[in-house]
Amino acid sequence: MTTQAAPPTKTATPVKARLAKNDELFAQTGYLFGLTEMKRKQEDPGNYEAVWQILQNICNTGWAVGCRVSSSAIAVEGGDALWALHLPTGEAVATSRGITAHPGLLSHFLRQIIEQGYEETPGIKPGDIFENNDPHYGGIHPVDFDTGVPIFYGDELVAWASGVTHVMDSGYIMPGSIGFMNPDAFADGMPVTMEKIGENDQLYPWYEMRVRSRTRVPEFVMGDARGRLAGCLTIRNKVIELIDKQGVEYFKDVMHEYVEDGRRYAVTRVKNQAVPGRMRKSNFKDLAMKGKRVIMPSQDIDCLFNLPLEVNIDKDAHVNFSLRGASGWVPFGQNITPAAAKSALLNAYSHIVGFDMTNWGPAGAWDLEEPPAGSWANPYPVNYFASAGVAWAPAVMWMSSLYESFGRAYFMRGYIEEVAAGAATTLTAEFSGIGQYGTYVAGLTLEQASNGAPARGMADGESSAWCIYTPNADFGNAEVTELYYPIVYLGRNIQPDSGGYGTFRGGLGHTTVWMIKNNQGGVEYQCGCAGMRSKILANHGMFGAYPTWPDRGSYAHDTNLKELIEKQLPLVHERGDPEDPILAKNLKASVMHTNVVAPFVTPEQLQEYDVIMHPISGAQALGDPLLRDPKVVAYELSNGWTRERIASDIYGVVTNYDEAAKEYNVDDSATEKKRREMREARKARSVPFRDWWGQERQKVERKENMDPAVLTMWRSSMELSPEYGAEVRAFWKLPDDFTF
Amino acid sequence: MPEYDISEIERLIDGKLPWARVQEIMKEAKDADRFDKWVQILQTRQSWDDRILLPLSPSLFIVQKKNKERVVKCACGQEFGDYRVNWKLSANIFVRDSDEALREVYRGSEQPDAAWTQVREYSCPGCGAMLEVEAVPRGTPPDFEILPDLDTFYREWLGRPLEDEQEFTDKTLETVGGWS
Repeated sequence: MTTQAAPPTKTATPVKARLAKNDELFAQTGYLFGLTEMKRKQEDPGNYEAVWQILQNICNTGWAVGCRVSSSAIAVEGGDALWALHLPTGEAVATSRGITAHPGLLSHFLRQIIEQGYEETPGIKPGDIFENNDPHYGGIHPVDFDTGVPIFYGDELVAWASGVTHVMDSGYIMPGSIGFMNPDAFADGMPVTMEKIGENDQLYPWYEMRVRSRTRVPEFVMGDARGRLAGCLTIRNKVIELIDKQGVEYFKDVMHEYVEDGRRYAVTRVKNQAVPGRMRKSNFKDLAMKGKRVIMPSQDIDCLFNLPLEVNIDKDAHVNFSLRGASGWVPFGQNITPAAAKSALLNAYSHIVGFDMTNWGPAGAWDLEEPPAGSWANPYPVNYFASAGVAWAPAVMWMSSLYESFGRAYFMRGYIEEVAAGAATTLTAEFSGIGQYGTYVAGLTLEQASNGAPARGMADGESSAWCIYTPNADFGNAEVTELYYPIVYLGRNIQPDSGGYGTFRGGLGHTTVWMIKNNQGGVEYQCGCAGMRSKILANHGMFGAYPTWPDRGSYAHDTNLKELIEKQLPLVHERGDPEDPILAKNLKASVMHTNVVAPFVTPEQLQEYDVIMHPISGAQALGDPLLRDPKVVAYELSNGWTRERIASDIYGVVTNYDEAAKEYNVDDSATEKKRREMREARKARSVPFRDWWGQERQKVERKENMDPAVLTMWRSSMELSPEYGAEVRAFWKLPDDFTF
Repeated sequence: MPEYDISEIERLIDGKLPWARVQEIMKEAKDADRFDKWVQILQTRQSWDDRILLPLSPSLFIVQKKNKERVVKCACGQEFGDYRVNWKLSANIFVRDSDEALREVYRGSEQPDAAWTQVREYSCPGCGAMLEVEAVPRGTPPDFEILPDLDTFYREWLGRPLEDEQEFTDKTLETVGGWS
C-alpha cells in the first residue's frame, strides 16, 4: 500500500488551471471534461462497473463509520448526513446513502477551495482538513457542516473525500438547528468560513474550543465533527488501496468518466421519458409570524413566498429552470443562494428524474437561470446579510413543483408508474432545555423525515415512507428519540385523509403526540418551518385532485395529564376531529391551543405532563376524487384511513356499516347515483372561465379580500421580475402601471 | 431494453398489475415503445376517432382533427380549442374564495385562510369531470402546466415528423387580449 507521502510543495499541475480548462472543454464540446468518448468504459465495461460499485461501497463505509462516531440524534437516528468522493476539481463522483442534495453543495465547497487559490495559501497537503458551513461560500444553511479531506497518491492530489452532517445546534440565536426565526446572518451561529480546521488528520485544538464556547450541545457537535472526519479518512484510506490495485492513471480516467456518465444518464432519461416544451407551475408558501414571539420588531409580519417554476426542455433534452417571479428576501432564516438552490435541484432530480449515478454529472444536464436579484432565492445582491438558517424551506417547496411537472411529462409518454403528484411538507419539532440527565439539550426530532409519498399515475402513495430531502426516509426509533430529549411518545399514528383527495391519494402522514417528561426547569418546543404551509394549500391539484390541508400544531400547557394517568383514564394519542380535537376533549389545561398556525415557538416554558401534537403531512393526490375506487374508500373507512364525511361528500361513495363484521361496504347503485348527481352539481354551479375572468379581474384590480401578505408578495415579485409582472398585468388586462 | 406486451401495459395503466411487478418495471430501463402502446390503448378507449397526438391528463388529449387542427379534447368529446392556448380558458370553473365555500372541503384545523388563497376547480362543460384544481392567491394567472413542443417531439425525438408543422408558441395572452 502506498502511504500518504510527505507534503509536496505543489501539485504537478495546478488544479485551478485544470478547473478553468474543464469549464472551457465543456463549453466547447458539450461533454464534461471534453469526454466525447468514454475510453475506459468502452475498453472494459465490466471493470468500469465493478470499480463504480466499489466506490459507492467505499462511500457507504464512510457513512457507516461516520454516523457511528458521530452519535448525534440527527446523524445516527435520522441519517441526515452524507459522505462523498470527488475529483481534485471538486465534482462529486460517488456518494454514500443519505441526503442527495449534498453532493452538489460539497462539490461547490471544494471548487471554492480551488478557486480561492488555497493551493498557494494555505496550501493543500496530505492530512489537511478543510471545512465550510457559510452560505456565502457555498453552504446551504449553517448547521450543515461540510468537511473535505484531500486524497494524495504519491505527491499528486487525485481526489477529495468529503462529509456533511446536520448538527444539533450551531449557535443560532434560538436553540436547535432549524433557525426559521433567524433575522439575519448575524443570528446564523458559529461560522466556519472555508477554513483549514486541522492537519495531520487531527482537528486543531482551537476548533474544539470554538465549538465549546459557541454551540449549546458541544459534545454532539464535536461528535459530528469527528464523525465527518472519520468517514472522510475511511474513504481516503480505502481509495488509496483501490488505486494500488487499479493503477492511478486508470483511477483518474474513470473518475472523470463516471461524472460524464452521470450527465449522459440524466440527459438520456429526460429524452426517453419526457417531452420537449415548456412546463410552468405556481406554488406559494406562507410564513405567518405577526403577533407571535419573534426576535426583532421587523419580524412582526406575515409573509407569503412566491415560488414559481418554469422548466424548458429543448430538442437536445437540455433542461433550463427558471425562478422568474420569485418574491423578495425575508427577514427570517428562509433565504437561499443560487448555488445552494442548484445543488438542491440535484436532490429533486435524484427523486424524479432518477439516475444510477448520483454525482455532479446531472448538474451538467441543466441550467438554473440566475434567480431575481433580491429574491428569497438570490438575496445577497440586495442584502448580503440575509439569513439562510433554514434555506431548505422555500427550496424544497419549490422542488415539489418539479415532481408534478415532470410527472405530467412522464404521463404524456405513458410512464405513469414514474408520475409523482407533488410532495409533502416539512414541519419540524425541536426541543431545548435541561433534560433527563441534568444537562442542557437542544435538537431536532426526525418525525419530518417520514412523510407520505406522492400519488403515482395508477396508485396511491405509500404512507409514512418518504421524504423530499432524502431518499432514505427514516423518522428514527421513538424509544431512542426518548433517550435524547425529555419527552415520551403518547402516539405516532397515521393521520386519516392527510394525503389529499383524488382518484389516487398521496401517502398519508402521521401525527405524533408527545408528553414532556423528566425535564428540569422547563422545555421549549419549536414547531419549525423547514418547508411547510399553514395558512394556504399547496398548488398541487394534479388532474383534478384536492391538495393536502395546511400544517397546524397543537399543545396544552399546565395539564391534568398526570391525574389521568394515575386514574387510568383515557389519554391523548391522536388528533381526532379537526373541529373537535381529542386534546381539548380529554385534557384540562390552563393553556390549550388546538389550531396554531405554524411555525411558532411556545411562549410558555413547557413543563412535566404538557402535551404536544405535531402533524407530519401526507403527500399530494392525483385525479378526480369521483373516480376513486369505491371499494378502496370503504376499505380505508374500515381501517380508519378516511372519514365518513370525506367518503360521502368528496368521494361520493355511499356505504353501509356492518356491525358484525366491523367494516364498511359499498352501496354500488347508490354510489353511482350520488356521483352522477355530484357531476351534475359541478356543472350547475360552475361558470365558463371567461365569465369568471371578467368578474375576477375587477376583484384583482380592487385587491378584494387579499391579505397584506399577498399584496406584498405580488409587489415584490412584479418588481424583481418585470417580465413576470408584465404577464400578470396582461392576463388580467390591468393598466401598465398597476401595482398591488 | 425491455419490451412489454400491450396487455401488461394496459393492466399497469388500470392499476391491476401486482405491485411487485410494477416495481420490477420501475427498476428496469424504460421500454422504448411505451408511447406507441400507450396511445394505442387510449385511442381504442375513446368514442371519437380524432388522432391522439399526446395525452395531457386522464381526461384530456391533444388530438389532430380531420381538418388538421390540433386541439385539446376531453374523453367525452368536448373540445377546448388550440392546444397552444391554455385549455382552462375554455373550461368551466368554480372558485372557493370564502370560508363557507372552503369549509365544504376543509374544516377546522384543516381549513386554509380565504384571504390568502382561493381554490379553483376546473371542470369539463361536457361531462363534469374535474380536470384540475388550483390553490393560489388571488391574482395568479391560471397555470399553463405544460405546453409541449409537439413538432420537435415527433420530428427529433420520435423520428417521424407530423404533417403541417405549427409554430411552438404560447397563444394564451393573445386570446385573453381579445376579451373585454
